Amino acid sequence: MIQSLMPERREGPGDPMPKSPGPLEEGGGPRRPETGSPDKDSLLKRMRRVDPKQAERYRQRTGE
Amino acid sequence: MRLFGIETEYGITRDDIPEMDPVVESMELVRAHLASSFERRWDYAGEDPHEDARGFRVSGLQQDREEDEFARRDAHRPFSFHDMKSDLVLPNGARFYNDHTHPEYSTPECRTLRDLVAHDRAGERIVHRAAQRRNRLLGGAYLRLYKNNTDFHGHSYGCHDNYLVPRSISFPALTVGLLPFLVSRQVIAGAGKVGIEAQESGWVPGAYQLSQRADFMETELGVDTMHNRPILNTRDEPHADRRKYRRLHLIIGDANMCEYATALKIGTTRLVLDLIERGALPPLEVEQPVVAIKQVSRDSEMKTVIRLKDGRRVSALELQAHYCEVAHRELAGSDEESDWLLSEWAETLHALSDDRSRLVGKLDWVTKLWLIETFMREERIGWDDPWLASLDLEYHNVNPEQGLYLGLEAEGKAWRLTTEDEIEEALRSGPQDTRGGLRGLCVQRFSEQIQSIQWERIQFRGGLRSQHLNMGDLFDTQEIRRCADIFQQARSPADALAAWDHGKEIET
Repeated sequence: MIQSLMPERREGPGDPMPKSPGPLEEGGGPRRPETGSPDKDSLLKRMRRVDPKQAERYRQRTGE
Repeated sequence: MRLFGIETEYGITRDDIPEMDPVVESMELVRAHLASSFERRWDYAGEDPHEDARGFRVSGLQQDREEDEFARRDAHRPFSFHDMKSDLVLPNGARFYNDHTHPEYSTPECRTLRDLVAHDRAGERIVHRAAQRRNRLLGGAYLRLYKNNTDFHGHSYGCHDNYLVPRSISFPALTVGLLPFLVSRQVIAGAGKVGIEAQESGWVPGAYQLSQRADFMETELGVDTMHNRPILNTRDEPHADRRKYRRLHLIIGDANMCEYATALKIGTTRLVLDLIERGALPPLEVEQPVVAIKQVSRDSEMKTVIRLKDGRRVSALELQAHYCEVAHRELAGSDEESDWLLSEWAETLHALSDDRSRLVGKLDWVTKLWLIETFMREERIGWDDPWLASLDLEYHNVNPEQGLYLGLEAEGKAWRLTTEDEIEEALRSGPQDTRGGLRGLCVQRFSEQIQSIQWERIQFRGGLRSQHLNMGDLFDTQEIRRCADIFQQARSPADALAAWDHGKEIET
């Protein structure tokens, strides 16, 4: 019965913006994000401030 | 009874100098947490990474030669091994130290997902606050800390999830039950990664992966953790009574920013362990787990087919659905947390196959991909642009003023399991229903009298009588609370230990 939980698959997400959450988060579960459209602009500003070379410079020793 | 905890090694870098000394910076970062000078307390007696759960002891680890080389290079430094490690036990029962040049925060043992997520988040705050103090000394905001698992040059560092399980569950049973689950767990627990890399062999742009760690998995089973990393680590270091318990030490996981992903990662693994203990899992074996884990990670459309040894071919989502279905059948109604998990697990798998945009703010790989794709459209750049790796890195920055995930969270777009009050509480004290809370209480009340401390034992100074609190088999909630009450009210550790030992004598 491996596939019984799986609905028919659609291709990747259309609108990548978060939609309103379902009812599962009511009660003792996690809290839903604030409703309304996300302020994409402030996040985009933050992303534009990221130095494009940051990852190139970033070096670590191997950890566990 | 199931206890769990997370160890997170953080990435660390400085903006103001071309080449940072990772030994010094990691050590200084940990020490920046302290209000007073560092005092060596951690007891390493319980640590032996050479013991293998398959029933033997290895003579050496693949990392030993490299570690010896680092030790030789680091020998000229004016501080000892213990100074470098700077091992701290915090008033919340957590361990905070320098592990292989990475600041590592290990949560106290937790019994509920809510506590675990709160303590994982508390770790982020502790690391960030230490960085702020260190930056004040440096004279600028130069230090950056990342809760991630790669440097995009082939160096990985871990986020390990740990579970206390009865020794009566054989290791072969754990192996059979867990391998297919772990190969596919990344669809819910992957932190997402731009590009492809391999152990110390550079980085190739142009792809998006579900997982940060999949590239570094090189074998199915093994005791190593720094080279030739295994999907299922066989280190036998229970940090508890060895006759009764083992510690499942998973090194395959990514460091999650999303609280929801952390809760599902740990929670679903806990459910699978319950199924293994009940003998409820039908046998299911992946033909080539190491190949499969990489293929699954490199397919964000999740169409990759995994070949099973019985000839079946399934997707990672179908594997997860199989586990979810058996768990639902066997464990529904067990307790409130299990029911929440079963519901969210099924809902998440449904959303992944149906409309994954509903998982933005809940699963890291989905959230990071959404941010990056939005940015790519706005900036008209392609997957080969190196800027994307930097965005990936900054997604994990623990500075709320810089981190991309924390920016999303500040806008209320991330799913929260915890409240800020719960995180503040986790900064102050450990879970009251585990020995982690008891360890923290001893640090709060009797710090000056602690001679040495580790996961299962606290040695107190002074006196001729036995002065240690043994917690190797202290997992019963009522016993823990009774012991904590004694330590809360006693005037000294000696009084507390006497009362605790007297109580146990009466019981027997």
